[in-house]
Amino acid sequence: MKFEKTQRTPLVEIGSSSCLIKGECYPENIAEWSGPVLEALKKTLADANTEFNVDIELYYFNSSSAKFLFDFFEFLEESAEEGKKIRINWRYRAEDDTMLEAGEDFQEDITACEYNLVIVEYASEE
Amino acid sequence: MEKNKDTLGLHTFMQDRKTLFCYSGPLTEDLLTTISNPVRHQLSDKETEETVSKRVFGVFIEQAQNIIRYSTQKTKSTGDSIGTIAISVAEDGFLIEAVNKIDENKRDVLEATLVELSVADQKALRQMYKQRLRDGPPEDSEGAGLGFIEMARRVKHFEFNFVESEEGALFVYRGWVS
Repeated sequence: MKFEKTQRTPLVEIGSSSCLIKGECYPENIAEWSGPVLEALKKTLADANTEFNVDIELYYFNSSSAKFLFDFFEFLEESAEEGKKIRINWRYRAEDDTMLEAGEDFQEDITACEYNLVIVEYASEE
Repeated sequence: MEKNKDTLGLHTFMQDRKTLFCYSGPLTEDLLTTISNPVRHQLSDKETEETVSKRVFGVFIEQAQNIIRYSTQKTKSTGDSIGTIAISVAEDGFLIEAVNKIDENKRDVLEATLVELSVADQKALRQMYKQRLRDGPPEDSEGAGLGFIEMARRVKHFEFNFVESEEGALFVYRGWVS
């Protein structure tokens, strides 16, 4: 399942054992955009029986989107508590303190998933 | 002649205060999508660190969405929210300003929130942001209730006023980013 990137929403690619979110997130209506994304993730994760890998590489997200990310991580955490093996990689650029802090903040509530803060050396934003 | 003076006055005023971008009128999410690109372009035109221009953009987006969600001045035909938003070059950085009419009844709550935020340090703001995320939005919020905390985290300093006008209370917000 692929959600193409738009000016205000990131690319989302959900495969059978992975999920990638990459870009910027400040949609007009966060619930409208995130609803289908979370639904697709739930469906995929329900069938996943190997390790599930989540890569998140955001350059900017607004305060409304923070709530989506919070819910997104909460869902992953619950799934991990129910026995799914989940690895989350929060990817941020070396100089981007804002995204590093955000990654650290989300990490605080996560214990059941493996969670890594990963520095991206080269900007790969188009 | 008077009209010409006004136009020239507007030009001089905007130039003198180094305003890069200013919009005053009905603001919608569609319009915000459209103006996001030129605003970014303006910011990257200057010799500005990417982290600074991202902070300016972040504050701009939160301010614009505040106008869209909470301005009580609406267009008659479509009910779109009216407000003013501007980005200017300021001493060692940028000034982001917003003005909109607000609900008189919400003034006290907003004022108390902003006073609390204005005296909080970065560490406290970060904690407040996390707490708000966990608690969920307050009842009268249309967003996540995080906007003003987010802005306070990104600015070096901010000021606000409530100005009584004939049409009601105007809320004025100024944030400096450097």
